[in-house]
Amino acid sequence: MLVVDLILGAVVALVCGLDRVAALQIMISRPIVAAPLAGWLLGDIEVGLQIGMMIELLWLARLPVGAAVPPDDTQVAVAGTVLSIGMGKLLGHNGLEFILLCLLVATSLGKLGQFFDRFARLQNRQTMEKAEAAFNAGDLSAAQRCHLAGVFRFALAALGTYGVIVAGGFLLVPVLSPILLSGLKHSADWIRIALPLIGIAVILGTINVSRSLTLFSASFGMAFLLMWLV
Amino acid sequence: MKLSPLTRLRVWLRLFLLQGSWNFERLQGLGFFFALYPALQKLYRGEQLQQVSHEHAAYFNTHPFLAPSVAGAVLELEERRSRGEELPVDIQEFKEMVAAPYAAVGDALFWGGLRPVAAGVSLLFAVKGIVLAPLVFLVLFNLPPMWFRVFGFIHGYRKGIRSMEFLQRHRLPDWAIRTKETAVVLLGGLGAFMVFQQLQVVDAPKILGFSVIPLVILLGLCARRGMSVLVLVLVTTAVIIFVSLFGVDPTGWMSI
Repeated sequence: MLVVDLILGAVVALVCGLDRVAALQIMISRPIVAAPLAGWLLGDIEVGLQIGMMIELLWLARLPVGAAVPPDDTQVAVAGTVLSIGMGKLLGHNGLEFILLCLLVATSLGKLGQFFDRFARLQNRQTMEKAEAAFNAGDLSAAQRCHLAGVFRFALAALGTYGVIVAGGFLLVPVLSPILLSGLKHSADWIRIALPLIGIAVILGTINVSRSLTLFSASFGMAFLLMWLV
Repeated sequence: MKLSPLTRLRVWLRLFLLQGSWNFERLQGLGFFFALYPALQKLYRGEQLQQVSHEHAAYFNTHPFLAPSVAGAVLELEERRSRGEELPVDIQEFKEMVAAPYAAVGDALFWGGLRPVAAGVSLLFAVKGIVLAPLVFLVLFNLPPMWFRVFGFIHGYRKGIRSMEFLQRHRLPDWAIRTKETAVVLLGGLGAFMVFQQLQVVDAPKILGFSVIPLVILLGLCARRGMSVLVLVLVTTAVIIFVSLFGVDPTGWMSI
């Protein structure tokens, strides 16, 4: 069953990974979509929803502008969901604290995954050189195939990132669970809301809007007061 | 020669793969050629086709949702060039002229504004455990970009070089600023909702909720000074675990 879970996760990682840059860009790559999708296929959409909710805002402020390569939050979301559900079944753990442990491991390993994304883009330079040769030879079909080879490279990069996070997770989660699960048990509810709040803070810190702190404070204060008093 | 609707549709569909071979040298260059190829093939033959195709594979970078507007206008210009008409501007110059402003407006409007708005609304559903939250995000986010992708292409093809006026006439940069402001207000409401719900669950004094505002501002300042998200996550998590491990309950102080 674990193999099936890993394969289903890989399919989601591939499709959503392509949506990030290479194809469509209809935002199925966002964690709030990719993680519940993976969770649904693995039989526990609630876990995916929790993970998507916690990391959706974290890297939202890192815009894919020009030559910038934002961290791969898609694979963190998908691999985090697969680890939570797959490893949960294997180790007999469930609950928010285990989801958080898997998510923290996936988030840390996600940094390594950026290497694959960058590598695919660097490799596409060679594709460009091949396409140049094809243009000079008048072989325009070959030039088009070079473009499609780029899509294939992005697909491999997505799978590579997913593979690294899942493999690393399978090694780290069993080691870390006896150490961290008891600590997370008492703090899980607070960490659950702390992560989206960090995301909001990062957006506020980087968004180019005048009076953003005033707007945020006013809307937070008003909404909070309304909920408190009404 | 006039391009058939089917050929234009093929170009439009291929624009969904615009960034397929994205690289640090020419960014979307090869992708732009790939998208236009079905049309170029109809308009040119032999060496001319080879030369024009090669030209379109040069450096090109714009926002993927506004690229159809550029592609539509380029198709109209290519039609005219293939008929031997004199063009008011060189096609490569036109691409260079519109790509950067379209990229700047698109990045600010779609990535910087619309995406946080759609995320904020869908997270309100997710916090309540409503499993349709991803669908809410997809619908909210995709409606405006799809409109730009469809009508931008049609408008670009109809108006040609004059399609550039669209950006000014509809004041898209102003819309980008307004959308970002909406995102900030919405995220404030979302933060308040999450904190209020949590305080209710642990039955803590509600006044504590207001302490989140300076904490968020502090974290935002850390992010602005270059602290990475990963460090912020790990440090915050460690602090929360540490506090709870030692049995410190700040919410308890207020209820005494």
